[in-house]
Amino acid sequence: MIDGVRRGITREGKHKRRETGGRRSQFRKKRKFEMGRPAAMTRIGEKRIHEVRTRGGNKKFRALRLDSGNFSWGTEVCTRKVRVLDVVYNASNNELVRTKTLVKGAIVLVDAHPFKSWYESHYGVKVGVKKNQAAAEGGEEEKKQSSHVTRKLTLRQKGRTLEDAIDHQMASGRLYAKITSRPGQSGRCDGAILEGPELAFYQKQLKK
Amino acid sequence: MARLATVYKECDQHEKAYQAQDAIFVARKRNTNAKKVKPMRWVKNVGLGIKTPDSAIEGNYVDKKCPFTGNVSIRGKILKGLVISTKMKRTIVVRRDYLHYITKYRRFEKRHKNIHAHCSPCFPVKDGDIVTIGQCRPLAKTVKFNVIAHEAQRAKTGKKTFRMF
Repeated sequence: MIDGVRRGITREGKHKRRETGGRRSQFRKKRKFEMGRPAAMTRIGEKRIHEVRTRGGNKKFRALRLDSGNFSWGTEVCTRKVRVLDVVYNASNNELVRTKTLVKGAIVLVDAHPFKSWYESHYGVKVGVKKNQAAAEGGEEEKKQSSHVTRKLTLRQKGRTLEDAIDHQMASGRLYAKITSRPGQSGRCDGAILEGPELAFYQKQLKK
Repeated sequence: MARLATVYKECDQHEKAYQAQDAIFVARKRNTNAKKVKPMRWVKNVGLGIKTPDSAIEGNYVDKKCPFTGNVSIRGKILKGLVISTKMKRTIVVRRDYLHYITKYRRFEKRHKNIHAHCSPCFPVKDGDIVTIGQCRPLAKTVKFNVIAHEAQRAKTGKKTFRMF
């Protein structure tokens, strides 16, 4: 299989037409500093990360499979390592949603339990309780708390607001989050819990 | 004196991804009795004596390639030209006319160059306007300039006149 043209992904623009529309003729072969590599297409699964030696001897961590990441809840300033459960929306490509590919900017479902238990211990209130469940658990025994703890908790109640949408998600045990790291470059799937206008926007998109 | 918005106003969401400025945390809880209220819009001073337009400060558009509310810096050449086309999405074509000297005949000839420049929504640019553009990093295959000032022209002169700046 002898080709006149060398195969491989390049990042140079010499193969593209000029601004005037004229064709550019090839004046040199492909160079190593112009090279590109195949995309990671990170999926959800048991962690599998390949290390890549890049230009200058530096490393890139190509995540091929990931199952958890560091997700932060902005308004409560709470960051926890949680499991990534499912890819739900991708603004660029629906194919990436179908194949459950983790990329920066993808909307995913993450496990809500670490955030739920943090919130309940920090504010001392039950979160994400379904209506019929609340009626049934009327007679739960009260844990004894020291006066210092109760004072701390009542102080924290001031200015405490929890969005309805997030409360609903807590009940189902899954939160919507957006990936903000680049899994194919850093090998990590970190992100932020969707809140406020952004959450409303994506929920509307999901309904469509 | 234009003032930065303290309440977040969402811009028109036409895209499939949520459009918001990177530097602003959109879902931030507002402390109602805080003495100093942090603004909900990020604007920067471009430098080089360029004035940021009021529409950039008071507006709620989101443009990551805008020199005042986005992530581009203006450095290098600053040029002036005539707008000949505004048909592209947020970018314009600017025409720069100049005279080239022919030594043999000791005369000049007219030449022109077209430049593609990104135009932020804070400038209401129309065909025939005079525009100051500043060099920035490549934003697209042909776009390496960004509109930093705008001077509307009356319809009389139009875009077919030879004007050197």
